[in-house]
Amino acid sequence: MNEPKSIALFGRVDWLFVLATFGLTLIGILFIYSASYRNDDEWMTALTRRQVLWALVGGFCFMVAILTDYRKLAANAWWIYGICLVLLGLVLVIGVKIYGAYRWLNLFGIQVQPSEFAKLGTLLLLARYLSLPSRDMSEFKTFYVTLLIMAAPFILVLRQPDLGTALMLLPVTLALLFVGGVPLRYLAILAGIGLLLTPLGWFALDGYQKERILVFFDPGRDPLGAGWNKIQSEIAVGSGGLTGKGFLMGTQNILGFLPRTVAPTDFIFSVIAEERGFVGAAVVLGLYAVMLISGIRAGIRARDKLGRLLAAGVTTMLFCHLFVNIAMTVGLAPITGLPLPLISYGGSFMVCTMAGLGLVQSVYVRRLER
Amino acid sequence: MARNVPTSVLDDDLLRLRLLLVVFLAGLTLLGGYLWRIQVAHSDRYEVDLAKQSIRRIRIPGVRGGMVDRHGLILADNRPSHGVALYLEELRRPGPWRNTIDHVEQVMASLTGIIGRPPEIKREDIWIHIRRRLPLPLLAWRDLDEAALARFVELGGSIPGVELYTQAVRVYPHDALACHAIGYVGRADPPEDEEERFHFYLPEMAGRAGLERTMDHWLRGEAGGRLMRVDVSGYRRHDLGLRPPRRGHDLMLALDADIQRMAEQALDSRPGSVVVLDPKNGDVLALASSPGYDLNRFVPSISSANWRALMEDPDTPLLSRAVAGTYPPGSTFKMITGLAGLINGRSRIEEVHNCPGYFQLGNVTFRCWNRNGHGPVNLQQAIEVSCNVYFFHIGLQTGIDGIYHMASALGLGGRSGIELDGEQPGLLPNAAWKRQVHRDGWRDGDTCNVSIGQGALLVTPLQMAMMTAALANGGTVYQPRLVIGMRPEGSEVFSSEAPVVLNRLAWDRRHIEVTRLGMKDVVMSSRGTARTARIPDVVVAGKTGTAEFGRKEDRKRHAWMVAFAPYDDPKVAIAVLVDEGKSGGETAAPVMRQLLFGIFHPGAADGGAG
Repeated sequence: MNEPKSIALFGRVDWLFVLATFGLTLIGILFIYSASYRNDDEWMTALTRRQVLWALVGGFCFMVAILTDYRKLAANAWWIYGICLVLLGLVLVIGVKIYGAYRWLNLFGIQVQPSEFAKLGTLLLLARYLSLPSRDMSEFKTFYVTLLIMAAPFILVLRQPDLGTALMLLPVTLALLFVGGVPLRYLAILAGIGLLLTPLGWFALDGYQKERILVFFDPGRDPLGAGWNKIQSEIAVGSGGLTGKGFLMGTQNILGFLPRTVAPTDFIFSVIAEERGFVGAAVVLGLYAVMLISGIRAGIRARDKLGRLLAAGVTTMLFCHLFVNIAMTVGLAPITGLPLPLISYGGSFMVCTMAGLGLVQSVYVRRLER
Repeated sequence: MARNVPTSVLDDDLLRLRLLLVVFLAGLTLLGGYLWRIQVAHSDRYEVDLAKQSIRRIRIPGVRGGMVDRHGLILADNRPSHGVALYLEELRRPGPWRNTIDHVEQVMASLTGIIGRPPEIKREDIWIHIRRRLPLPLLAWRDLDEAALARFVELGGSIPGVELYTQAVRVYPHDALACHAIGYVGRADPPEDEEERFHFYLPEMAGRAGLERTMDHWLRGEAGGRLMRVDVSGYRRHDLGLRPPRRGHDLMLALDADIQRMAEQALDSRPGSVVVLDPKNGDVLALASSPGYDLNRFVPSISSANWRALMEDPDTPLLSRAVAGTYPPGSTFKMITGLAGLINGRSRIEEVHNCPGYFQLGNVTFRCWNRNGHGPVNLQQAIEVSCNVYFFHIGLQTGIDGIYHMASALGLGGRSGIELDGEQPGLLPNAAWKRQVHRDGWRDGDTCNVSIGQGALLVTPLQMAMMTAALANGGTVYQPRLVIGMRPEGSEVFSSEAPVVLNRLAWDRRHIEVTRLGMKDVVMSSRGTARTARIPDVVVAGKTGTAEFGRKEDRKRHAWMVAFAPYDDPKVAIAVLVDEGKSGGETAAPVMRQLLFGIFHPGAADGGAG
């Protein structure tokens, strides 16, 4: 097959998807500014400047991913997966410790989070593995090899420890198995095992993780400690009302009740909801809906199963991130420390999200015309 | 094509993809619905939470009203006290609080050199301030003197986070003058019964004694408030609103500062008391108790050493003897006995009794102070020479009830209602009292004792001054009053109220006249007991008293003298008491003389008694 020219490829992208991506990134930059705003002296906060830089890097990755043929990329999936595992291993050995966890690697002065790349690498390999024409989906071996592929990064990320990111691998794998056509009874077995293991998992949690879960069910348990973020975030969102308090006017945010350390990252949605109200929150949800619909459409119109699986995996990852994050900020889910895709501050996550979304468009621009 | 092969792998894949999207959209809908619920449907609940946590209310105390004497001389007022305040918000250092505190201490160390004395706060105080009152300025130096103030303005004023802080503190320009009447203020506890609750209370004064205490309601003014929004670490962000505090009422006192000063000087720090009333209206022109204390020692708050010294002083300077000291009145009571007999018709003006120097009641002998006896005396003479025997006769003729009612009508045995706390009623005994307290019957001997102002009888100097004022004005008992006018904020003039009459006694003019003549003779005749109280050009009427107290062997005596003058148109009614004096004539009369001379010959050199 002849690869079309780059310009032609860009002409075939889903512009709605690109616009939504751009819009969410812009919203992210604006509200990171608000969440890190201190006074009028600096026209742009350091955090905002860095996020703009990361958005540019991310946009570049987005375009590179579109141009890259996902099929050629998938052909090297085992290599990519292997490199990711090595990096995850390195984190545990020479990683940078921040907030009591080893999550970062210092590469040429830039701190990167290999777990983010590992999510993408694992997704790519799983899609590749499940989409090979020789694969018999009803064979049990397919099922457990899939689980094994997922298990390696899962365990490594869990060791950092980063429960939230590790758990993200589960729905993605599940979605790939589901869309890939694994018999539903396997999935049922998987769900059953998961349920059985949940009580055991409780004992594997660190103290702070247990506390977060307990606080979710009883926020008054420690209102100035673990319960603080949850309570303050709910007040921020709730007091935003229909139209919000105005940009830079969110008292929860500006006065620091929403802690400065998490407002630009995990709790950025609270800032948006406080300053722009329900309308602003709905706009964000709407843009995500556009991306999800468009992503699934890319899968539906993909020329092969690999494309379908990639689209399904990336959209699932996008959805799970945004759902868990927003549910957390409004008090529907325990605090997990998962960022909001495209909006939360964070370099590695921005680059990975953009690369993943680019992969979806890589599938879409190579779609079959019907 | 898919329609024909529903089980095709492709079709199945697409179905599952669409199912996935359904799940996604359901999730988004759930989030959207929940957001609607908390942001729109129940938003008010969160807004209340929000307001509660970021808004602080600060109470600003009212500006305390002042006090002036009857001529407008300032007795109590506020003065600005300049201090140095630290605004921790601006001194904040990143990292743990320790860093900020270290920095604050550095700033204070550099300021110490400029101001010339170390700060009044310690590290713990900074900690406490951070924990409790973070948005408020922290006062590190109080009451800078002028030199320190000038140095600070010149050298320290530009240090960020450090500012001059001016507070109102109480000032008493005449130090100890009328200290017991004026009273003092102390740091107030935050009021608990206010409708509005505040997060922070600025230091506030509350009256602790004297008029400062009893008139606190009028003096303290109306508190204002300030709303400020704080950030999560408690720093002030900006003020949202201010309701300015209001000044309390200024009080005009009945006191005449000159008379008050002379009264205190006449006592000369001896334990005792002088009360000067205007017999025409009950105005308290002077209310002196000695020893006193400097009111400014209580500003802004009294040191514990000073307080202990005042508490442990055997001369009890904190005791307001004029209203709270109770003493047997001795012979100053005899006018009451005499009047009681006349008014009840049990004795006559011209009635004469012979005084052999003693009085035999059954097998008990009551002595006259003059062992040689006064011979035959009438009422006017009996007052003049203070003959005990005459009043034993009158007392027994009248009976205790007559004496009791007369004394009671003149204000004895009860509180006058003067605007001071701690006023004592004294003790006016009668049969009911003795039955109740001593479970014993009233005897004639008790009546004899009361007739000459002894026995269980106890009075305050204020009560004796009230009695004297009533004798001076012909029988009207006014409520003694310290406050004669009030001036609300913004007003130029003091409102005033009419004097309060407690009792108007329907005395026969002849009865009161003979009593007054007797009192005139006490001072003006050659036989009188208070000849030493005479002053030039003014006819003075009075009565001395020497009251025994404690055990008889100790021979302890209080020296009394009451007087009014001028005789024909009394302007002042005075009671003088000296604790543990020798006798009324020897101890109290010179005090009375000095005071009367000062009142009637202001500015003139006192040529001495004669």
